[in-house]
Amino acid sequence: MEIAYPVGLIVVAAAIIIGFTALVREKDDLHRILLVDLAEILGLVLIALVATDLAEALILPGLVVGISELLAVSEVYIAKEGFKEPAGPAFRIEVMDSAPGILALILVAYGIILSGFTGGAIAAVGAVFYFMCRGHAVQFELIETVSGYAWAIWIAAFFIFMFLPQYWFFGVMMAGGAILVKVMAKMSLVGTMRRGGPDV
Amino acid sequence: MFNLPTPQIGGPELFVLEFGDIVAYFSPYTALLFAFAILFTVLVIVSRPERQVDIAFGGDAYYTKEVNPDLLRFQRFMAIACGLATLGAMVTGDVFNFTLFASLIGITNIGIVAAYRNRHVLNAAFQYGIVAMLATVPLFGGAAIILASTGTLSMWELFGGTVAVPLIAKAFLVLGVMGEGMAPFYIAKAEITRAQGAPFILMVHVSSLLLFLRVMEIVISM
Repeated sequence: MEIAYPVGLIVVAAAIIIGFTALVREKDDLHRILLVDLAEILGLVLIALVATDLAEALILPGLVVGISELLAVSEVYIAKEGFKEPAGPAFRIEVMDSAPGILALILVAYGIILSGFTGGAIAAVGAVFYFMCRGHAVQFELIETVSGYAWAIWIAAFFIFMFLPQYWFFGVMMAGGAILVKVMAKMSLVGTMRRGGPDV
Repeated sequence: MFNLPTPQIGGPELFVLEFGDIVAYFSPYTALLFAFAILFTVLVIVSRPERQVDIAFGGDAYYTKEVNPDLLRFQRFMAIACGLATLGAMVTGDVFNFTLFASLIGITNIGIVAAYRNRHVLNAAFQYGIVAMLATVPLFGGAAIILASTGTLSMWELFGGTVAVPLIAKAFLVLGVMGEGMAPFYIAKAEITRAQGAPFILMVHVSSLLLFLRVMEIVISM
């Protein structure tokens, strides 16, 4: 820790100088968005260098803020350049017709085995891939309802931790399962965004 | 030199609300800023957008500008969210939460500025968005260096005077807030104050003013 932190700081400082120099020299707007996203990662690296539990808890909100700013700036860029959504399917690759079923199955199964936040993310990647490739004909109300119940179960698990600590294992199982379903439901909505949904 | 008896420039705390180790509090200073922010948030909620009239020179002709209701609704939502984020930044007692609220103000300012379909305005909003994103690096970096050097993020501990916060962390914090609070300059550049639906633009100015006042208090007290 004593030697790793200053060395890490020096590396990050060098990376920040390189990143900002590149940003000054770059004139293309799209490339500047990408460079800014890279620079934002360096802010997270600065937090990660602290290497305590608290720092770990700070990375997730920092990441969320960074992603939301990236989304906002990208939307501004799209509006600024006047890009329109493509009318037909954007691209056709054969693997997108054959692979989704088996890949989504593997990812979702592995995610359920992992459970918790990580499992939810992995299972969600499978669902996103499936929806992106195959299109979707699902009721969004159903996904939203499932996600809402999962959230309620997650909160109930926290109440178990607080008021009935002797049943902690039950609480862990509830929280792990619920966050799995919730992250998966939320992220699978992302996969339906660019494929001709009526209301997304 | 004059031995002014002010251990904290914010004054004594008036009210404390604890969520575990995350503490929200009011001092006379922050309570004043909070009241100012709440006043302008209420103004944004109740105000009606103005209808602008352009007069053609050299005649009696004039024409009214169309206001797109969807964009206006979005802009009002963003203005209210910006007010709420400002309220949060005023009362929080945690340095990292303060940086999060500051970047939230940056995001909502992008939203307020970007709610026009005018090329110049969108260009200014894009440039501001780049600056706001870059500002998160020193903002989070400052909070991370404070955490690494003092072991805490609570303003209660940092204001006590027993821990020394390195100068670079304070400089990073101010630099980050400068980046997030830059929006008024871009508004002046694109002359959005003369665009339609202007009252919501006020929130950008109010939030960046209050953010600067608050970060000065934090940096001087640390």
